[in-house]
This record gives sequence, C-alpha cells and structure tokens, in this order.
Amino acid sequence: MASLSTKSSFSKIYYLLPIIVLFISVLNEFDFNYLNLKYFSFNFPFILIFFFSLKEFKYFDYLLVFIAGLINDTVVGLPLGISSLSYILICIATSYLRNITIRPHPIKDWFFFLFIISLINSINYSILSLFFSYNLILENYLINNFFTFLFYIIFVNIFKFYLKGIND
Amino acid sequence: MASSRDDFIIAIRSAFLKKSTQQKFSLLTLVFISIFIIVLSSLDFKAVRYLKTAINEVVYRSSFIVSIPENFIKNSFIEISEYTTFFNNYKKNQEELNKLKSNYVSNEIIQYENNELKELINDYVYSSNKILAKIIVDHNSPFLKSIIINKGSKDGIKIGTNVYDQSYLVGRVIEVNYKTSRVLLLSDLNSNVPVTIAPQNIQAIITGTGNNYGQIKYIKDGFLDKFSGQSIIYTSGTGALFKSGIPIGKLTSIDDNSTNKLNVDFFSDFSQLKYVFAEITIKTEIKKTELDNTENDVENNKLIDAKLEILENEKNIIEQTNIKFQEENEILKNKNNILSNKILSLNNEISTQKKIINQFNVDKEELKFLRLNLQYGHKCRRSFFNNKGFMIGSNEYKNCVLNKGRINNG
Repeated sequence: MASLSTKSSFSKIYYLLPIIVLFISVLNEFDFNYLNLKYFSFNFPFILIFFFSLKEFKYFDYLLVFIAGLINDTVVGLPLGISSLSYILICIATSYLRNITIRPHPIKDWFFFLFIISLINSINYSILSLFFSYNLILENYLINNFFTFLFYIIFVNIFKFYLKGIND
Repeated sequence: MASSRDDFIIAIRSAFLKKSTQQKFSLLTLVFISIFIIVLSSLDFKAVRYLKTAINEVVYRSSFIVSIPENFIKNSFIEISEYTTFFNNYKKNQEELNKLKSNYVSNEIIQYENNELKELINDYVYSSNKILAKIIVDHNSPFLKSIIINKGSKDGIKIGTNVYDQSYLVGRVIEVNYKTSRVLLLSDLNSNVPVTIAPQNIQAIITGTGNNYGQIKYIKDGFLDKFSGQSIIYTSGTGALFKSGIPIGKLTSIDDNSTNKLNVDFFSDFSQLKYVFAEITIKTEIKKTELDNTENDVENNKLIDAKLEILENEKNIIEQTNIKFQEENEILKNKNNILSNKILSLNNEISTQKKIINQFNVDKEELKFLRLNLQYGHKCRRSFFNNKGFMIGSNEYKNCVLNKGRINNG
C-alpha cells in the first residue's frame, strides 16, 4: 500500500516536472550567464513553454505559466506582466499552430518557433523601450533569439525522451 | 479565398478562447490580465507598490534558495582557481595592505578636517554608516545588470543608497522592499553617474555598456586629447545622486579613433561580488528649526562652545608664535649690536691704519727730499756763485731739489 502511494506521488512529480523545471528556470535564470561568454544567452522558458503547450501536455497549466512569467519579471527586474504576456503569446501561437496543422513536422515547428520568438522579442523590446524608457541593446536580443532557436532542437529531443517515459 | 480566411479566423478564435478541461482560464483572459498588470505596474499606485514589494520579498528569497546548487558549483570553481594562486596573492595583498593602512590614516585625518570645516561654515554634516549586505540574487543577465541584496527598508536602505565593494562604487539602490533591495550596477545601460576625471579635473558622465566596462559620455571635444591611461575616475557628487570622491575605475583605452569613445575599467569586478556595503547616510543640518527649543539651545551652545574652543586654540597658537617671534627679535637685536660694535672697532682700526699710511708717505717724501737735497742741494741753494738759487726752506727750493735742479726754460 505504502509503495503504491510512493509510486503515485513519484509519478505525480514526474507529470509536474515541466512546470517545476519552468519555475526553477525562471527563479534561477537557467541560461549559463555565469559562464561569461560574450555572445551567448538563450531563453529556456520559451523553449519549454513552446514545446509543452504545442504538445497540449495535460499538466501544463496556463495559469502557472502566467505566474512563472510574473516571477521572471520580478527576478530580472522588468515591469510586472511583460514576461507573462510573452509566455501567454507563445501558448496562443502554439494553440493556433495546433489548429492549422494536420500533419505535424518538427522542422516546421522549429521555424514557426523562430518566427514566434522573434515576434515576441520584438514586442518585448518595443514595450520596454517605448513605454518604460529602458535602454536596451538590440544586438543582445538578436543573439538571444538566435541561440534560443538553435537550442530548441536539442531540448526538444530531451523533452521527447521525457514524454516517451510517460507513455511507457 | 473566403473559406481560407474563415479557417484563419476560426483557428485564431479557437486559439484564444478554447479552454481545455484542465485549464482554468482561457488564454485571452490571461492576455488581458497581463496587459492590465503591465498598465498597473507603470502607474505608481500605493496598493500596487505594496503588492509588488510582497511579491519581490517572496520571489527573491525563493530565487536565492533555488540558486543554491548553482551557486555552490560556481563558488567551488572560483575557490579552486583561487587556491592555485593563493600564496602569490597573499604576498601581494600584504604589500598592498601596508600601503592602504597608511592611506587610510591620512584619509581619516582629511575627513575630520572636512567635518570640522563644514561645522565652521554652518553647513550640514553627513554621518554615514556602512552596513554589510549579502547578494542573494545575481543572475548576470545580459539585458539588465542588477543584483538583489538582503537589506531593505527595515535596515534603513532607501532608493538611491550608494552601494560599495570595499571602497569602490558598485551602483545604487533602485528598488527597496522590506528586507531586500535591488541594486542597479554601474555596468547597466540605464546607469548614469556624474564623475570627475583626475588628474585633469574634467567633469563627465559615465554610463554602463551592458558589459563589464563603462563609457565616458557628455564630454567636451577639446578635452579628449588630454587623457592618458593613468587617469582615474571618481564620483563628482553633482546632482547629489552619489557622494563625491568615490573611486569608480581607470580610463583604459580609446575605443574607436573615429568616434573617440573612452572606456572605463571598473575597479570592482561585478561578476565576482558576494558581499557589498550599503551606505546609510544621515544628513544633519547645523541650523535647526524653532521646534524643540531646549534641544536646539543645547545643540547651539555645544556648537558655540566648539567654535570658542577652536578660536581659543587659534589664539593660543597665535600667542605662542608671537612669543617665539619676540624671542627671535631679541636675539637678532643682540646680534645686531655686536655687529655694529665690530664695525665701529674696524672703522677705528681703518682710520689708524690710514694715519700710519699717511705718516709713512710723508716720511717717505721727506726721505726722498733729503736724499735729493744731498745730491742736488748745491744747484738750488742761493750763494755767492749761484744768485739764481732759492732760499733754503722755501717751496721753490724744495721743488727745485725734487726736480733735481733748476729747470732751464730758456
């Protein structure tokens, strides 16, 4: 009986793993910034949210994604709501992609991801510089965009292993 | 055509509004909430501010806890690399420490003097207290360069509080919560600090670049040639955002010859910060208002006493110097007398010497006359055979003898 409950709690944690990882990544800014590589940064939450909302993962609650965005804004020091809006826009984009796609293809998803993150980063940049008078370097956004796009395909394979584990 | 547009609209509408069974809110609702929060955060409402402070407190603490494993790995790596150069660094540090100790003493003296002078001119006095703060969140983000420290309004931190690494400026507080605060680093793009460039003594503004160096901006073109690699940058205190005289960095290189950009290498390495000092300043005006008169009287009396004491000290010093001058004067007078006596005696000596010389000359003349008289006296003397001669003892006779006989004009 005890082993059954342990197993069920373990499986619950396993199901909630994407959300837990999302929260850890926004709290800890999982982006290897401490390596101090001059032209390197990527946005892990974008990849995670895009993938799991595209797969319509059962335990990936939009409200929690929204809250993760608020936490990210607090940690980074951005005006509250900016990251939440970005994350929710990714969810909307993936929902739209799901609706229009009959036969999914990873490469198509990958390029759609590039389009979406470029759009969202542009919105972010515009809001911050126009409405909040932040001085930002466009170059940093472009680099971040590029590496996020590149890393997508690597993380997608890792996430697929995770989903395979659930299905098994 | 119409059908494809319909499909697009249906897909979009479904994306926004369709809510799965497990989802509590539709995405459209969440978008509206996000926009509402953005608008609220741009407006400075008291309720929103408190809510934000509460969220910040919880999130910063959570972020600190979540970052523990990553920080542990990062710190272990730094410690290992530090151990490899431990001994050499120790030697260097000891030498530096000795130098700094002597500098510290002279700095303290200057500070005391400064305070004393400010009191004298009825200015205000800043009494500052540096408190140690631990950095709980430092993500080294490429977009915004800021850190979170574990001191907040509870510890007296305010917006604008200067933050130091040892005695070097790191940044200033831009957001204060109850037990935490956010510090905007000098390297952030939004950071602008009025500075003085020494030894040229030129005023400028240093801005962050988003990297580990700053850039000098808003400087007159004519001054650009004056700088060298030895120029030091410190805060000028203009605008009262930062205290004056806090060291920031060194002028390193001219970035680009065409644009003449001046880079500043910060003294402090912002990526290696673990603890910082937040300076809590208390501004004390010397002049008080009419409220709590008794306290003011005591304060004023204290001030007057202090002034009197300083003036008395000054008077004593002047008196002492006067006495010294008088003593010196006496000594000089004595010396003068002795010297004038000496001069007198020397003058006397000179006059006697002159007399002797004159006598000697007279004797010499006399001797010469007598010698010539013996030889040529008979030629000049009037006698029976020489009726053209002169009377002995007359001037003509004397001249004749000296001329060795009469001069025949004819």
